[in-house]
Amino acid sequence: MRAFLTRRLLLLVPTLLGVTLATFLMLHLTPGDPVTIMLGEFASASDVARLRAELGLDRPIVVQYLKFLGRAVRGDLGSSIRSRRPVQEEIAERLPPTMVLALAAQVLAVCAGITAGVTAAAARRPSVDSAIVAVTLVGLSMPTFWSGLLLILLFSLTLGWLPITASGGLRALILPAVTLAAPAAAVLARVTRASVLEVLRQDYVRTARAKGVSERLVVYRHALRNALIPVLTVAALQFAGLVAGAVIVESVFSRPGLGRLAVTAILSRDFPLAQGIVLVVASMYVFVNVGVDLVYGVLDPRIRYQ
Amino acid sequence: MAAARALARIVVLLLLFLTLVPLPLTHAQPQPGGELALVSTEEPDTLDPQKTGTAVTGLLMRYLGDTLLTKDLKGSYIPALARSWSVSGDGLTWTFQLRNDVKFHDGSPFNAQAVKASIERALSPDTMSPIAGSLFGPVADVQAAGDFTITIKLKEPFAPFLDNLTDPRAMIVSPQAVRDLGDKFGRSPVGTGPFKFQEWRSADRIIFARNPDYTWAPSTVHAGPPFVDRVVLRIMPESAAQVAAFERGELSVLALPPTDVRRLQGTNKYTIYSFLRKGVGLFMEFNVTKEPFSDIRVRRAVSHAIEKNSVLQIGLEGLGEVASGPLPPSIWGYWDGIKEYAPKYDPGKAKALLAEAGWQPGPDGMLQKDGKPFSFVLYTAPIDTWTRSAQIVQSQLRAFGISMEIQTFEFGTLLAKLKAGEHPAEFMGYTYTSPDIVQLWFHSSNIGTGLAFSHNKDSKLDSLIEASRRETDQGKRLTIYRDIQKYVVDQVLWVPLWTNTNYIAVQPNVQGAKTHPDGFLLLNDVWLK
Repeated sequence: MRAFLTRRLLLLVPTLLGVTLATFLMLHLTPGDPVTIMLGEFASASDVARLRAELGLDRPIVVQYLKFLGRAVRGDLGSSIRSRRPVQEEIAERLPPTMVLALAAQVLAVCAGITAGVTAAAARRPSVDSAIVAVTLVGLSMPTFWSGLLLILLFSLTLGWLPITASGGLRALILPAVTLAAPAAAVLARVTRASVLEVLRQDYVRTARAKGVSERLVVYRHALRNALIPVLTVAALQFAGLVAGAVIVESVFSRPGLGRLAVTAILSRDFPLAQGIVLVVASMYVFVNVGVDLVYGVLDPRIRYQ
Repeated sequence: MAAARALARIVVLLLLFLTLVPLPLTHAQPQPGGELALVSTEEPDTLDPQKTGTAVTGLLMRYLGDTLLTKDLKGSYIPALARSWSVSGDGLTWTFQLRNDVKFHDGSPFNAQAVKASIERALSPDTMSPIAGSLFGPVADVQAAGDFTITIKLKEPFAPFLDNLTDPRAMIVSPQAVRDLGDKFGRSPVGTGPFKFQEWRSADRIIFARNPDYTWAPSTVHAGPPFVDRVVLRIMPESAAQVAAFERGELSVLALPPTDVRRLQGTNKYTIYSFLRKGVGLFMEFNVTKEPFSDIRVRRAVSHAIEKNSVLQIGLEGLGEVASGPLPPSIWGYWDGIKEYAPKYDPGKAKALLAEAGWQPGPDGMLQKDGKPFSFVLYTAPIDTWTRSAQIVQSQLRAFGISMEIQTFEFGTLLAKLKAGEHPAEFMGYTYTSPDIVQLWFHSSNIGTGLAFSHNKDSKLDSLIEASRRETDQGKRLTIYRDIQKYVVDQVLWVPLWTNTNYIAVQPNVQGAKTHPDGFLLLNDVWLK
């Protein structure tokens, strides 16, 4: 177990190296320059050159990358070009609201998705199954920027139940979390349904039924637990997707968060900030996946890590 | 020149800035209290006026700070922190007599030493100032000549000097706060304005509170402190959400997106002010160094082939007017004769010019020359009204056998490409306060570094523009600007398409709103019913 964890955490190093290198190259190869964006289109050539030198942007890309790595290893992600604040400070301020949103959406998606999936799989009437499958199709197909605006129009403007602009507080979290959760819940429902259906065809389920175990118990005790492994895998992958999806949902609902910060950083070619955000999100992704691997063992005692 | 360049940064940000005309005064008794909610799509980079590059910070500094002088509602210079000013005969030494009854929000005294420290900070290379530093021009020396007298010596005469001093980013900041707060100053700025900084919740809102000590208001507004307790700037990236929030009463004032203008006008619930944008909202610009638009006959043919009214009606839903030259009627210096002078929609002339330039219809009906088809890429930005307009132009040109491909780029990328001159033609627009904008678009010194995206090297145009910047006689300047407008039309560097009308909706409970011709809302007199 410990060896497994050590190995997985060591893998973090090449992963993050790859991620930083890829982001670094992508940012630097995109046309547009942070200094002209910062100084304005009309800045004199000498001002641009001076600031580029001060920010170290005039050095070869390799040198810039190595300098970034050297500082990052010591826990210094540099300063944002746009706001001139330390990158850590910017991220620390924006990470919590995004985590709250993504976690709320994840909980909603898991609850709704698994319930719908199991209900569809175990439904005696085919119409219930078809209805649930149809609803998931809608949930999957609606882009969040559109469904988010529809929810605002319905619940905030027409019904007046929920605020549009209030930030913080549970009431302000409801609409964004629902919007973000909907496509994830739809995917989970479909995966759960398929997985449960497959497990229900297994011999041990037939045995359980033959023993006279109630259908309810068969589905929830015997089938669901074994059907959860693929569901969990998908849910874990989705979590990172939710952080990415937060980019759009945060904009639509004017919520502060990492997603919007990332967009601003990229549009203003704020290299250090964009780099820092990618680093944080990538690390989160790796940690979530290590966590999921551990949960596999809990769900299925046959899975052991050496 | 550097200052004008910095000022013009606003242009490229292309924000629908509040560019308003004076609103009528209401005569009811103002009531104190309440909160006024404004909204911005963009979040400020910093609230340090000397370090900011974002337009929204400039807007906020109007409320947080005061400048040495300011402009009244007609655009004349009036005293603000300076009671009076004078300039030496050679135009090099400016002397300002300061008010002696002003103090900063942190309680520190306002005097000549503070002004000197503030200006010197803006000019210091350590500040790395994107805009503020260049506003003051070629400063040689700033001296406090007594407690309330300051002299600024310039290295050479600088025509935009007084105008630049009214820029909100030239506000005087508290040197004591700068010292005490260091890098934190940008998140808790200290000035002398009618409102003081209270709180900045990142990506959410910025809150300013009434400055109860404010007794030094300029003559455009009432003398005492403002009436509302708080001004809140909400940061909302999504315009549809802004409209919904305004309709729900969560915002007091909103610059309306074109798609919502007719609907909100129809509700009759809000006061809606409209004014013509100070700038050309959309024009097609040719890169004269690239085929096929290096041929002036081809450029002229295109200008005769586009029927602008359809572009206006469909692209902009008719919310504006057709543009004819490089300046709109809303900017001083506009020559009214340009409407008649500019090329009109004329299919016959367009076809004749294309034929003259050697473009003949091929077997598929599309034009070709030496076996090459007439096709080009129009570079544009992801703005709804621009995209729709591009589609109309595309179909209009197709009727002449010209194939135009539309390529949309994110704005930062687009500008880099236009500067490099990769494009055959592009869509652009601008907002500016003075006719000096022609220098930025057309002077050859701005090729590759500035806005001269036509990449047109033309000594005649250059000398006309230089003359317009030297000339102090307003009548003679008008004549020069007329010649520039005619010349730009003659050379068909642009096909001006439309200038939009901006619409500002205000909640019915907002009283006493005054708008300034330089494009902002004066909040000193605003009160809530």
